[in-house]
Amino acid sequence: MSSGVPAAATVHLAQSAAWLHLRRLPAGAVLAVLLGIGIFIAVQSGAVAVSAGDWLTPLWADASGSTPGGSYVLWNLRLPRAVFAILIGGTLGLSGALTQGLFRNPLADPSLLGVTSGAACAAALTIVVVSSMHLPLPAGWRIWLLPAAAFAGAFGVCLLLDYGSRWLTPGSIAGLLLTGMALNAIAVAVIGLCTYLANDEQLRTLSFWTLGSLAGARWPLVGIAAALLAFSLLALRRLTRSMNALALGEAAAAHVGVDVGKLRGRVVLLVALVCGFAVAWTGIIGFLGLIAPHMIRGWVGSDLRRLVPLSTLLGGLLLLVADTLARTVAIPAEIPVGIFTSLLGAPFFLLILRSASRRIG
Amino acid sequence: MLMKTTRTALLQLDAACMRLGRREFGPFSLNIDQGERIAILGPSGAGKSTLLRLMASELACIRGSALLDERSLASWTLAELSRRRAVLPQSMEVAFGLETDLIIGLGRVACRHDPQLDDIVRQAATHAHAAHLLGRRFDTLSGGEKARVQLARVFAQLWDRQDGLILVDEPLAALDPGLQFELLDELEGFAAQRGHAIVAVLHDINHALQGFDRLLLIQQGELVGDLPADARALPHLEALYGVALTSLESPDGNLVVMPTRRTARNTANG
Repeated sequence: MSSGVPAAATVHLAQSAAWLHLRRLPAGAVLAVLLGIGIFIAVQSGAVAVSAGDWLTPLWADASGSTPGGSYVLWNLRLPRAVFAILIGGTLGLSGALTQGLFRNPLADPSLLGVTSGAACAAALTIVVVSSMHLPLPAGWRIWLLPAAAFAGAFGVCLLLDYGSRWLTPGSIAGLLLTGMALNAIAVAVIGLCTYLANDEQLRTLSFWTLGSLAGARWPLVGIAAALLAFSLLALRRLTRSMNALALGEAAAAHVGVDVGKLRGRVVLLVALVCGFAVAWTGIIGFLGLIAPHMIRGWVGSDLRRLVPLSTLLGGLLLLVADTLARTVAIPAEIPVGIFTSLLGAPFFLLILRSASRRIG
Repeated sequence: MLMKTTRTALLQLDAACMRLGRREFGPFSLNIDQGERIAILGPSGAGKSTLLRLMASELACIRGSALLDERSLASWTLAELSRRRAVLPQSMEVAFGLETDLIIGLGRVACRHDPQLDDIVRQAATHAHAAHLLGRRFDTLSGGEKARVQLARVFAQLWDRQDGLILVDEPLAALDPGLQFELLDELEGFAAQRGHAIVAVLHDINHALQGFDRLLLIQQGELVGDLPADARALPHLEALYGVALTSLESPDGNLVVMPTRRTARNTANG
């Protein structure tokens, strides 16, 4: 395996296979193989040609400065970016599966419900307002400022959604989506305001957020993202069984012994955590969280014990494909991948809407 | 129904009141003994389901007390409660079209370590005549099949328990008559084997009279009657629903009643 995290995800799958049917193993194996092929293709394609021999020139040989360009591009640009795409895509697929399970709604998605925008809004405020206050923060803390703000923003929107939609339109799926839409509008307006107030340098940083891009991929960041995703998957292993009970409805879930309030709190915290970090690092990448779980549901069913790990894998695969396309369709220019996922994802959303129309109301 | 000599109170309500929205219900004072079969009757909106939700510990007591096994209901954790009482809900719907095996198994989700899960799921499904539905997606089932799967879930939940409590909230209203009796029979058979008490909110007076020992009559949020399910209850039922009841005896000795319009009877009598 050429990267840490697909391996971690596969291990997770293999472990969970022991306490469930073996039926899911093929789906996981298929996705893992596709991921491997995907990484290979992603690394091979781009403006600079990469030969098979470059794979054999290891990273540490670079110090002399005499290594060929292809090898440098492979190990320091393309490979970390491919792995980063898989990790972030996995994060988005994971948070989509969780959001849908939490709100009992196949149309829920962090970007659709305003969670992503909330994170981006907090990040924008941090860039424009906090950075102009010149706070005397140690340099080491600055890296965490944006992720922390994005997490707070995502968490805030999750809580508002949860309580707001219950208070405004109890039990209504349409009400939940509309509440999310309103929160989304507020967040987008605040981002717009920040754009208006920003100076040139802040503006450049901001446009990165609103479009979504994986260009910031570096190995240290890849490591942090891998740790975060691995932590989330581990934390979820014990929650997914209870989360299945939410599909019965909250009252029935409580009757079979699930503490719904506590469970919701934990899941919201996890969603906000992974969404916040993903947004802080890559900006808004929409619709992946909607598509990945939906495809998996059609493939292996809706059991969250299978849906969550497989959505993570598929989300990673989809973002890897989208990012490779975004990098290569208009060489040497690079289209922000967020534009790409929305262009492809929004029509898909309309298709789901058609088949789910019976359940909305 | 045989009367056991050593019956102890399973659930005790003592002047229990609860609030739903702005409306207050109660006070309710009643005892439910082990293995009893009790039907809650009353006009729409009288508070039948609300009383059931109090028994399910879904609504809290704002005054008075509610004890399960002589312990305040509020002090039971949800996991403890799930091993003692099960609820067959009014709404049968399940999101996402989960598979029936998974749904039945969810009855036991609070059991941390459950090595016999698959076995119990299969037996519970067989008992509810839902074995042929295993492996199918819930959203492809008919109304009656959904009811069977939900019943199997309740069976799975209390499969290896004794002297528990099964609460049933009008789950049969939308089903055809044959199926209603069949499901009630299955529920009663299951409960009788394990000594579980059944408390059911019902619409159909005949179901209440034929399958249950005791009737709780609810009107405008209050308990207006607590009586055995036999012919003596008929005048109370007439007053409760504001109808005239014509009673017949079926060939096998069961009491069958037929509601008729009050005005029609008055005309006939006068």
